[in-house]
Amino acid sequence: MLRHPFINNRMLILYYGLFWLTLAASNSLIQIFWYDEELEKAIFTSLVVFIIYPVIGASIWYIVKFEGAKETDWMWTMLYHVVGATILNAIWLYIGYIVVKIFDESFLHNLNETLPTRILFGYILYTVYVVFFYAVNYYQTLKEKIKKEAELKSLIREAELSALKSQINPHFLFNSLNSISSLTVSNPSKAQEMVINLSTFMRYSLQHGQEDMVSLNQELDNIKLYLGIEKIRFGKKLNPIFEIEETCENAQIPNMILQPLYENAIKYGVYEATGEVSIVTRCQTGSKHVLITIENGYEPDSIKNRGEGIGLRNIRQRLDLIYGNPDLIRIIDKKTSFKVELIIPQNKQA
Amino acid sequence: MNEKLKVILIEDEELARDLLKSYIKDHPKIELIAECENGFEGVQKINELNPDLVFLDIQMPKITGFEMLELLDHKPEIIFTTAYDQFALKAFDYSAVDYLLKPFSKDRLMVAIDRVIDRIGNNEGLAEKFEKVSDFRVEENLERVVVKDRNKINIIPVEKIRYIESLDDYVLIYTNEARYMKQKTMKFFEANLNQKNFIRIHRSYIVQVDNIAEIQQYEKESYIVILKDGTKLKVSKSGYKKLKEVLHF
Repeated sequence: MLRHPFINNRMLILYYGLFWLTLAASNSLIQIFWYDEELEKAIFTSLVVFIIYPVIGASIWYIVKFEGAKETDWMWTMLYHVVGATILNAIWLYIGYIVVKIFDESFLHNLNETLPTRILFGYILYTVYVVFFYAVNYYQTLKEKIKKEAELKSLIREAELSALKSQINPHFLFNSLNSISSLTVSNPSKAQEMVINLSTFMRYSLQHGQEDMVSLNQELDNIKLYLGIEKIRFGKKLNPIFEIEETCENAQIPNMILQPLYENAIKYGVYEATGEVSIVTRCQTGSKHVLITIENGYEPDSIKNRGEGIGLRNIRQRLDLIYGNPDLIRIIDKKTSFKVELIIPQNKQA
Repeated sequence: MNEKLKVILIEDEELARDLLKSYIKDHPKIELIAECENGFEGVQKINELNPDLVFLDIQMPKITGFEMLELLDHKPEIIFTTAYDQFALKAFDYSAVDYLLKPFSKDRLMVAIDRVIDRIGNNEGLAEKFEKVSDFRVEENLERVVVKDRNKINIIPVEKIRYIESLDDYVLIYTNEARYMKQKTMKFFEANLNQKNFIRIHRSYIVQVDNIAEIQQYEKESYIVILKDGTKLKVSKSGYKKLKEVLHF
C-alpha cells in the first residue's frame, strides 16, 4: 500500500498547510521585531524555509514506504536516510536559490549567510518527517492487519457454521439416520459402525473449528469418514477415488476448505445421477505449492444450475485472505464432469 | 374389504427401501407388487400395474416425486416419505394420505396405512383428487417442466420454452425442437415461471421475453408479438402493459 496519507484527506492537508503557515508567519514576525529585518526580506526568507520544505517534505512518505517495503538491517536504513536527507536537502536549497534569484537577486547574499543553519535545519526537519511518517505507516499497517484478521475470523466462522449446518441439514443427517434405522434391522454391526463414523466426523468438524491450518492427511481422513457415511446411503452410485502423492500428505491447508467441494459433488453429481459417479481427488506437489483437484462426474441432463455458488465463493475469499491471491481456485466445467483445482502455497520454514 | 392393497414403493436409496419393506412385510392387507429406484420407473410401473397405494420419496434423481405425479394416468393413493419437512404443504395440495418424515417408526407407518384403508373403504372419490392440484405459487420459480409424450418422459428446462398456448384443459408448450402437451392451467405457469422472463401477453399465450423479435401495431388499439422464428401472437391490452413494464419502452 503506497497510498499517501494526504491523498483524499482534505482536512489533513488543511491542517498541514495551516501549521506551516503559522510557523512561517511567526518566523517573519521574529525576524521583523527581534532582528529588525525589513518586512519584505523577512517574509521572503520565511517563505523559502517554511513553505518550500513542507511541499518537498510531503514526498518523504514515499521514501519511508519504499524503504519499509523491504527487509533490511538497521545500518542500511540509516545510510538510506542519510542519502535521502542529503538529496532532499540539496533539492530544497537549490529551489530556494532559484526562487530568490528569480524574484530578487539582492537577497542572495543574505541567503548565503544563513546556509549552514539552513542545512542543519533541513536535516532536523527530515528526521521529524521520517519519525512522523513511520508512525503513520505503522498505524495504517496495524489497522489494515486488524481489519484483515477480523475478516478472516468471520469467514472461518462461516465455514464452521456451514460445515455444522451440512451435518444437521435434512440431506445429510436425517437420511443418514434413516440408513442407520434400516441397518439396525438388517445389519446391526454396520449400524454401529455408521453411528461411530458419524460421531467422529461431527466431532472433528466441531473441534477443529478454531485451528487455522491442518495437514492434508488429517483433512482427508475426515473427508473419507464423510464419504464413507454417504457411501452407505448411496451404495455403488458413489465411487470415491484418491490419488494422493506421498509428498502431499503433510502439506498444510486451511481447515475444512475441502469439505464444501465434496458436499457439492454429492449434491450435484451423485444425488442427481442414476448410474455410478466417481469423485476423484488428486494431489501433486509443486516447488512452492500443492495442487489439489477434485473432480466429479455428472449426468448432463440433471439441469440444476451450478456456477459459482456460496460454497465456492467462500473458498475463494478465504484463500484470498490467507494467501492474498483470489486466483488460487479454478473451476472447470467439462459438461460431463465438474473439476475444481486448488493451489495451496506451502511455506517451507513453517 | 377383503382383498389386499396393491402397493408400489418408489425410493432411490436401497437402505430406505429395505427398511420400508421390513416394516410392511407382515402386514396382512399389504401386497408389494413393485419397487422402483426413480421416478421414470415409477411412472411406468404405476401406469402398468394400477396399484392402490404408492409410497413415494420426493427428492430423487432426474424427476422429483411431485413431478412424477403429474405424469400419471392412473391415480393411486399416495404416502410421501421424505427427510424434508418443507414439502408438507405441497403434499397436501396433491391430497396425499400422509406425509412421513424420515426416519419414521413402524407404528407411524401403520397409522398411515390404516388411513389409506379407511379412505378406500369409505370410497372417497379418487378421481377428483388430482384436480385439486393448486394453481397458486409454490416456493421458488419453476426450473423445469416434466411432460410425458406417449411412453417417453421429457424434462424441459424453462429456458427452452419459447411460448405456451392454452388449449381447453391443457397447455401446449413450444420449444425449438418440439411441441408438448400438459394438463396444467395457464394460471399455474403464469404464477410459477419467473415473471421477468415470461409474460402472459394474452389469455391464451405466455411468451419468453428473450424470444421476442418485434412488437408490432396491428390495428388501432391492438398489437402482435413476432417471435424470432416468425411466429405471430396476439397481445391483449393488459399484456401490452406488462410488456411495457418489463421491457421499459
